[in-house]
Amino acid sequence: MTILARLEQWKEHGVISPEQHALLAGFSRGEPFSVFLELNVLLYAGVLAFVAGLGWTISTWSQQLGDILVLTILSALLAACFWYCFSRAPAWSPAETPSPSLVFDFVVYLGSLVWTVELAYLENRFHALSGEWDLYLLATAGLFFFLAYRFDNRLVLSLALSSLAGWFGLTISHWPSHQDAEYRQYAILYSLIVGVAGAVLQRRGLKPHFFGTYLNIAANVLFWAVLSGVFNREGYAIWLLVLLAGCGASLVWGIKRRQFPFVAYAAVYGYVGVSSILVREMNDEAAILSYFLVTGVAMLVMLVVIARRFGREA
Amino acid sequence: MRAYSAASEEALHARGLLKDWAGEGFLTDAQYQRMEQETVCDLRRTNIFLRIVLFLFTLIIVAAAVGLFFVAFLAHPDVRAAGVFLLIFAAILYAGAELAVSRARLYRYGIEDALTVCSVGFLCAGMQMALFGDHALSSQSDNMEFMVPAVGVIGSFWIWRRFGLPYAFLGAMLFVLWLTGCWTSSQSAQHVMVAAFYASGLVAVAATRSRYRFTYLNREYSIAEALLWLGLYLAINLQISSVNLVGQWWGEPAAATEFSRPFYWATWVLIWCLPPVVLARGLRGKDRFVIAVGGVLAILTLVTNKPYLGWQRHTWDPMIMGALLTGAALLIRRSLARGPGAIRHGFTAQRLSGKDKAWMNAGAAALGILSPQPIMPSAQTGSPQHFGGGDSGGGGATSDF
Repeated sequence: MTILARLEQWKEHGVISPEQHALLAGFSRGEPFSVFLELNVLLYAGVLAFVAGLGWTISTWSQQLGDILVLTILSALLAACFWYCFSRAPAWSPAETPSPSLVFDFVVYLGSLVWTVELAYLENRFHALSGEWDLYLLATAGLFFFLAYRFDNRLVLSLALSSLAGWFGLTISHWPSHQDAEYRQYAILYSLIVGVAGAVLQRRGLKPHFFGTYLNIAANVLFWAVLSGVFNREGYAIWLLVLLAGCGASLVWGIKRRQFPFVAYAAVYGYVGVSSILVREMNDEAAILSYFLVTGVAMLVMLVVIARRFGREA
Repeated sequence: MRAYSAASEEALHARGLLKDWAGEGFLTDAQYQRMEQETVCDLRRTNIFLRIVLFLFTLIIVAAAVGLFFVAFLAHPDVRAAGVFLLIFAAILYAGAELAVSRARLYRYGIEDALTVCSVGFLCAGMQMALFGDHALSSQSDNMEFMVPAVGVIGSFWIWRRFGLPYAFLGAMLFVLWLTGCWTSSQSAQHVMVAAFYASGLVAVAATRSRYRFTYLNREYSIAEALLWLGLYLAINLQISSVNLVGQWWGEPAAATEFSRPFYWATWVLIWCLPPVVLARGLRGKDRFVIAVGGVLAILTLVTNKPYLGWQRHTWDPMIMGALLTGAALLIRRSLARGPGAIRHGFTAQRLSGKDKAWMNAGAAALGILSPQPIMPSAQTGSPQHFGGGDSGGGGATSDF
């Protein structure tokens, strides 16, 4: 029985009103058809392409254009973006605030990106911060946190968290070449600060819907950092314990709160970490394959049990 | 042909819609509870995260089991014998997938996904090894070489029809690429053959799907049609599909030299014709996937037009593109907002589904981190190695002015 037939039946049985039937049957037929998501994607791609072109043009033609023209254009763009945002923003609320218009979130995002382009230009041309990029990143992260909380903007919140990660020396593209102890410590410190800050802000009721973003980023950075310790040839035992504790916590949290990405993190990171230790001493192909066969089946059974008990899709 | 009953899949489709409508407040809790009870079905599903993890662990198990078999029983196997065993494994895995569906009633659970993927993979690898023996991995051509991708096309297509897995359809399309490569070495002929395959697929899908317009199968056909349009376009657009030309995008135009002039310019005309056709079809059918592909094709046409014509690219081209996209979005929104109830010609810019919000939130969190990458700066000389300059975090500033 198709959804339209079901709706007709529910209307006849009095489960839904004729008005509800008309509305829901219309939705089922795509009437009206919402292009909300498509417009948002267009705006996002548009802002990103624009800022990419802006940065590229300035970096290529800055000599010909001259500092004054470049800074005037960038400052005008920045001022226009922030004027638009501050003049159109609704009164601040600690709760989730809907965007006043479709473009609003993207103007905040554009302003944030233009800010970084202008700041970098200033620094490179005039050495305003004397090459102190860590200060630049920290200040930028601070500004982005302010903008994210003021305008309830997840895009800018993610920019803030990545800027903060940059300050801690965490860059995704540099990850494989920096698996040393110092780097790991900063990564763990970063994830702890982000996780704790997210929890405190949520507990205080300050944009509690941002908590998921904090927690996901903190969990992934933490697991990567701990895994890099587990991969060490020496002194990995403590990291293994930390990994197991983290996986346990992630599993319990994921099941309790029905946040299944955390169940997935626990399974994947835990399996990779434990397997790397157990397999590294094995030389026999058959033993290694047997290990993966047996543990794979065990993991599969455990995950099926979890999926059947907790992770059922409604 | 279908592994699941229409009633079960229709019930799942209805449950999904009810959940969405209840989440958006179009149904009261009491109504939702009652209606949900009437859409109960026996299929077992799980959420996307557990599905992905179950898929991964099933792959690990299959790979380990097959590897162990070869290590334990066929230490130095003859290639043909190994191929025959792979074919046997393909059959076993397919039977496992069928059992997982018929007995355990798994539906998009990850396990049956992985088993079907492995079965097609082993089928092709097994055929290649069994048919061509020691030449299986060499580049030597053989008259029967097309058999392997042909079986891949048929196998993937069967999996798509039987289990309704959209990526199996994509797999079938990829096997078509391999298949045409076996038939001719001419680049132009390959492009034409691939385009012809996808075009005939489009005709078949378009003819079939109208019957399933408001059923659970509509989405499946919608994805298939969108993939076919995308594939057709990519086969036609020589600036994208000719791998050796992609590297020349930013340098000297050389595409025209590899193809005859009439063919080259015919494809240029076609890349301008396809996006409006696809967009019009998507909008007419209110088909989200086809509309999305139409939009992507339009952007790709604009991006590849200059290399096609041999014109020089400028640093401000992305800015113009960005302004164009933003302007288009604003125009569409404004145009729709003018209609009664902010609805015009059956379209609205308002959010009607909770799924849109969920996608937006997830996308914003992920893209916010990743998006600065292209405009990111390299670390400044002399800056502290561990603290400065990120080229991924750090909000996007650049230091190479």
